[in-house]
Amino acid sequence: MMDLNNRQWVKHAVTHPFEGFEDMRWKKAGSMKYAIIIVLLWFVAAVFYNRLYGFQFYVSADKMFNVIPYIVRTIVLFLTWVVGNWAVCTLLDGEGTMRNIFVYSAYALIPYVASIYLDVFLSHFLIRDEFVFIEAINYIGLGWSVVLVFSAIKSVHQYSFLKTLGAIALTIAAMLIMLFLLVLLLSLLQQVYVFVYSIYTEIAYRLKV
Amino acid sequence: MVFVQQKLKKLVVSALAGMMTAVFSMNLAVSAEEHYDVYNYDRWSEAIPSQAGYLASHSVSGLDLGIGDFSKPSDIFRDAYDQFFIVDTGNNRIVVTNSDLTEAVTIMEEFYYEDGTATTLKDPEGIYVSPETDLIYIADYNNSRVLVCDYEGNVTMEITKPESDLFSQELTFLPQRVLADKAGNVYVVLGNITTGAAMFNSDGEFQGYYGANTVEATSQVIINHFWNLISTEKMRSKSSRSVPTGITSFDLDDEGFIYTCTQSTSQKTDTVKKLNPAGKNLFSNIGVTWGDFESLYDVSTNRSYQSMICDIEVADDGNINCLDLTSGRVFQYDKEGNLLFIFGSTSEQLGGFTEVSAIESIGGKIMVADSRKNYITVFEETDFGSIVHEATNLYNGGYYEEALDPWYKVLQYDGNYRRAFLGISAALLVEGDYEGSMKYAKLADSPYRYNRAFEGWRTEFLSAHLTEITIIISVMAVGGIVLYFYLKKRRKTAKSREEAEKV
Repeated sequence: MMDLNNRQWVKHAVTHPFEGFEDMRWKKAGSMKYAIIIVLLWFVAAVFYNRLYGFQFYVSADKMFNVIPYIVRTIVLFLTWVVGNWAVCTLLDGEGTMRNIFVYSAYALIPYVASIYLDVFLSHFLIRDEFVFIEAINYIGLGWSVVLVFSAIKSVHQYSFLKTLGAIALTIAAMLIMLFLLVLLLSLLQQVYVFVYSIYTEIAYRLKV
Repeated sequence: MVFVQQKLKKLVVSALAGMMTAVFSMNLAVSAEEHYDVYNYDRWSEAIPSQAGYLASHSVSGLDLGIGDFSKPSDIFRDAYDQFFIVDTGNNRIVVTNSDLTEAVTIMEEFYYEDGTATTLKDPEGIYVSPETDLIYIADYNNSRVLVCDYEGNVTMEITKPESDLFSQELTFLPQRVLADKAGNVYVVLGNITTGAAMFNSDGEFQGYYGANTVEATSQVIINHFWNLISTEKMRSKSSRSVPTGITSFDLDDEGFIYTCTQSTSQKTDTVKKLNPAGKNLFSNIGVTWGDFESLYDVSTNRSYQSMICDIEVADDGNINCLDLTSGRVFQYDKEGNLLFIFGSTSEQLGGFTEVSAIESIGGKIMVADSRKNYITVFEETDFGSIVHEATNLYNGGYYEEALDPWYKVLQYDGNYRRAFLGISAALLVEGDYEGSMKYAKLADSPYRYNRAFEGWRTEFLSAHLTEITIIISVMAVGGIVLYFYLKKRRKTAKSREEAEKV
């Protein structure tokens, strides 16, 4: 039973919200390569959403485009989720390894990422009055992904329903803490840099005079 | 080889010459003569260089008119016969000039009651001449009255401080601007009243107030409101009240709407209003920032100054001219509130001001009075200005197709003029050129307009290619089904073969 190749596992996980990830865990399936591709596709989708959206729906500020916020909003966010969840669930008797959390979470994102591509595609054929279709697809994709993420976390750690809810809440808290620390670190590094630089200029000045 | 080179050289030279003549033959009046940077605002509310819609042509002082210098001229008004009434505040007189501001027709200094006694003005600040009744209304500031007289100076009515419960008797009555509507109701702007203009009926009886500004919901106001909710009556009496800034000036358009402006250092809402007869602001929801978008920062005083609209004037074609005291600029809007031009500055040169006080227009000319420089500057419409006005008036009147050519011309002068792209997009949409309309909507960065053009284009495309689309879809559907069954069958045979091999 369940002798599926990697591509079939993706399909199986996405189309079976309740059993898919359990089966994957049981068969030790799930490919890191596919997971990375999905996350990269999410990042590309976020850029597409801003740059290639149908003109009739909204105008992006064309004067400047910066790719960094899109990296932060997709890839960095995803990595924080994985690390945060791993950190929290290791303490809460979770059975998932970092690799598994990464792979399962990425698989769970597929409907959402697909809905973004579909939205961008449809936005070139629909008019503003028909925006409700785009919105519907968006909500379906998002809802589906939320269910899948829940299921993925539940199976990867072998948690009960309530414990999964708690773990997700704690993960979000952990993500916030990590982002806070990251910002703190960056600003401290900035200060250190300024300090070192001013010492350097001072010494350089002394040497010259 | 040499021959070829020579020929090539000739070709290049002639091509260059052709280009040069093409460049120079585009004889477009560029406003290099203005001493300030002419600008306009783009789609993202950023100031960008633009063409001048008006140029200062000359200035008129009292000496030019041969009547002695003006002293603090504070208002200027054009009557139904195109005569200008200049309120010469410091000299306590009203100067009436001809339409070209070249000679003084009359000077009104003394006014006569019915019994023959004379009266003079004391620091008059505002004037209005009714086109219906030919009565002159003068806001006689330091005499605390509004004087109503005819062209000969015979006083027909005097409006003084009303004895009404609505008007607090502790307050002074210092009229600054005056206006009379078609029904003869008189509106008076008083400096110390924040509840709008005082309104009198045609017999001079006090009726109430009209067109009060609303209090801007700043954080301070909201905090005050919160404290008022929980504090006692005694505490409340000590706290400061939130009152709006009183209106500064107003004007009447042809349809009888009153436009008010409010000069304030802090208030950002209600600076320009268009009031219907019920006193409701028709401009409350159009989302226009009147005056400069960003406040001017003065390095020497370390303060920033925001626009203060000190006078407003509605031209014959419905354009709204707003005068900014802070920057000495005139902001001209069309009747929908779209910014057309910005001109003027604070400087000593012609076209620059030190303290602007009043604005008035006639045809393509705009007059701005300066109460510190004591003269009136006349601005004249440029070629660019007249084309933009023509296009805007046609566009606002709904004649989109007729406005198409003027809008193209506008783009020749100024390729950054966003309204031209919008106008062309609208015109092409009416003409049924959906693709052109889409192109210009994109250039104008207007998703709304693009949406309408795209809707038309899509409908047209679908109806034109209906057969092809139906064929493609049906072929794809049939092909998909066939492929599905084929693959299923192949998988099945592969599996059975595998099983057979296993066995």
